[in-house]
Amino acid sequence: MLSVQHLRKTFSTVVAVDDVSFDVQRGEIFGLLGPNGAGKTTTIRAILNILLPDSGIITFDGQPFNAQTRNLVGYLPEERGLYRKSRLLDTILYFSDLRGMPRHDAKRKAMLWLERFGLADRANRKVEELSKGNQQKVQFITSVLHNPPLLIMDEPFTGLDPVNQLLFQDVFQELRQQGKAIIFSTHQMDQAERLSDSLCLINRGRVVLGGSVREVKQRYGSNTLHVEFEGDGEFLRSVPGVRRAMVYANAAEIDLAPDVKVSSVIHDMNGRLELRKLELREPSLQSIFLQVVGEPVVTGGTPS
Amino acid sequence: MKKVLAVARWEYIEKVRTKAFLIGLFLTPLIMIGMGVLPGLLATQEDRASKSIGIIDRTGEIGAAFIERLQNNYTLPSKSPNYLVQLLASGPTGDLEQQMARADGMVKDGAIEGYCLVRGTTLADTTVEYRSLAVGDFVLQSRVEETLRTIVAERRAMLRGIDANLLRELRVKLDIHTTKLSKTGEKEQEGDFLTTFFSAYVFMMMLFTLIVGSGQALVRSVIEEKSNRIVEVLVSSCSPTELMAGKVLGLSGLGFTQITFWTLLGVAATVKFGIQIVPPANAAILIIYFILGYLLYAGIFIAAGSPLTTEQAAQQVTSYLVLILLIPIVLAFPAMKSPDALWIRILTFIPVLTPTMMALRIPIQMPEPWEILATIGLMVLSIWGVMVAAGRIFRIGILMTGKGPNLAELLRWIRTG
Repeated sequence: MLSVQHLRKTFSTVVAVDDVSFDVQRGEIFGLLGPNGAGKTTTIRAILNILLPDSGIITFDGQPFNAQTRNLVGYLPEERGLYRKSRLLDTILYFSDLRGMPRHDAKRKAMLWLERFGLADRANRKVEELSKGNQQKVQFITSVLHNPPLLIMDEPFTGLDPVNQLLFQDVFQELRQQGKAIIFSTHQMDQAERLSDSLCLINRGRVVLGGSVREVKQRYGSNTLHVEFEGDGEFLRSVPGVRRAMVYANAAEIDLAPDVKVSSVIHDMNGRLELRKLELREPSLQSIFLQVVGEPVVTGGTPS
Repeated sequence: MKKVLAVARWEYIEKVRTKAFLIGLFLTPLIMIGMGVLPGLLATQEDRASKSIGIIDRTGEIGAAFIERLQNNYTLPSKSPNYLVQLLASGPTGDLEQQMARADGMVKDGAIEGYCLVRGTTLADTTVEYRSLAVGDFVLQSRVEETLRTIVAERRAMLRGIDANLLRELRVKLDIHTTKLSKTGEKEQEGDFLTTFFSAYVFMMMLFTLIVGSGQALVRSVIEEKSNRIVEVLVSSCSPTELMAGKVLGLSGLGFTQITFWTLLGVAATVKFGIQIVPPANAAILIIYFILGYLLYAGIFIAAGSPLTTEQAAQQVTSYLVLILLIPIVLAFPAMKSPDALWIRILTFIPVLTPTMMALRIPIQMPEPWEILATIGLMVLSIWGVMVAAGRIFRIGILMTGKGPNLAELLRWIRTG
């Protein structure tokens, strides 16, 4: 569906994206991952022809970006914004006009989507009367209404409450079932891990990891201990045989050095923690990212 | 083209629906009429009650006649005299300082509105001073002046042995009636300065309102879309050129809706009151200039507005553009006096001034055909140039956030488009 080859973009002296390549297939949810400022949004803007790349080739089913391919894409930008003074339905129909949809068709579909998101009774309200989460739903509708085979969503889940996050995830799965290609960017690794079939991890403008999620995880072996416990797990970082440990309030992910016996680590935990669950499997994306980049993922700060 | 129309339709409908548009539609003509007519009406309003004024006549020859004439010549609607005049002192004797102090006191107490102080002699060196707390009543002042002048002139005539009746006969009142001739010498149109001035003035105000109104709307809509990043979705759905063209088209439609509405109001008023505003033969040429002028400024507004990121910056930039538009309005009077002067002609050839300068010149004296053709040609060329440049700036500018570009960067955008 989409192919990005050797994309490079610089802003005056800063290299925002450097030699980024990936492919996205139909029926696939593709996670574009990386910390803030990694170059995710720049990549997305280049795909959408909002930015002209310095070099690199972007094709849609083999075709470069043009007036026809433009309508193949639906886009949800990172910054949420709509015409505040305009009515919901009018706003949605404006964007469908721009995509060249016939009005009656657009109206019917818009009402279906509004129904789905529980906003049908507010179709003629002004956008500014809606909550932020609801505005985000409207914006989402504007990006999918013309039924594009490729959806590009920049941080689609930020600002949504858990209920609506689930709603969006369901819709994503549905669209995937229908054979659409969905690219979504996020800096939340756990979310990407749950949702995506394939991923591309970008750090400082470069691809550091890519491929299907299963394959990536297999590549990093299954020598990771996932534990849940009660007590203070801070000491786990310094247990012999532990290469790296991510310690949370009631859980930890422990990356074991090769040839280290799980039993010896358990022995060290005995008596210091009340163990609830213990599992040896492949590492989480978060942990893989740390291994690859060698530094913690920076969350917060300025968006790219 | 379909996308251009989609944008145009959106911009048009969304703006027409706003309260601001509806208010502007009705309020603007009211304000314009109010500003043009009300002050005049109020200033020339007749007095309702008699006003008391005084006179200190050091010549001793004027006082009685002044009182008589002022009281008899000007009456209130109720037939009672408009002015009640008191002779405060007469003749060169007596202490002037004291007389004035007393009269000043009366003015301050409100006993009289003001008083005339006539010094010197009637024959040679008469000087008159009007002293009052309110010196803005120019109706009163012009009446006092007229009365005094007549009296002094009559006194002088009499002293030289000229019959006062003869003098009255000699002083003819003349109204000059102007007739405008065309180059071929035929009588083309009768009218006076005011009608001509009004035609040009109305045209300029309409162009001004339209350009400023839609220019600001244009800039504001770009800035809104930039600040909420809708623009990213827009340019991923249509090309920047289509977006820009759609905006210009939609907001032009909005402006012309306004103008049409106001013109209809104007025509209705014309029919009702029998005022002729624009001679129809010139209207066609003026409309061409009108449209060209609008397009030129639309391009300029886009070029100036699209790199901006805040409403404040936009207001600053648009107010500078408004200043350029104001130049011809300031020049209106000198241009009316000598519409063929070289400097006026030169100004006519500056594209940003062409429409308004032509609006001034055409009703007064039709410029040479080559001037019309050359200025229209020049405007078409500059519109083309400005639109191309604006398109290039727009394409980059609408996606810019943060610090705006400097002039050098802007020029680079234009060159590398």
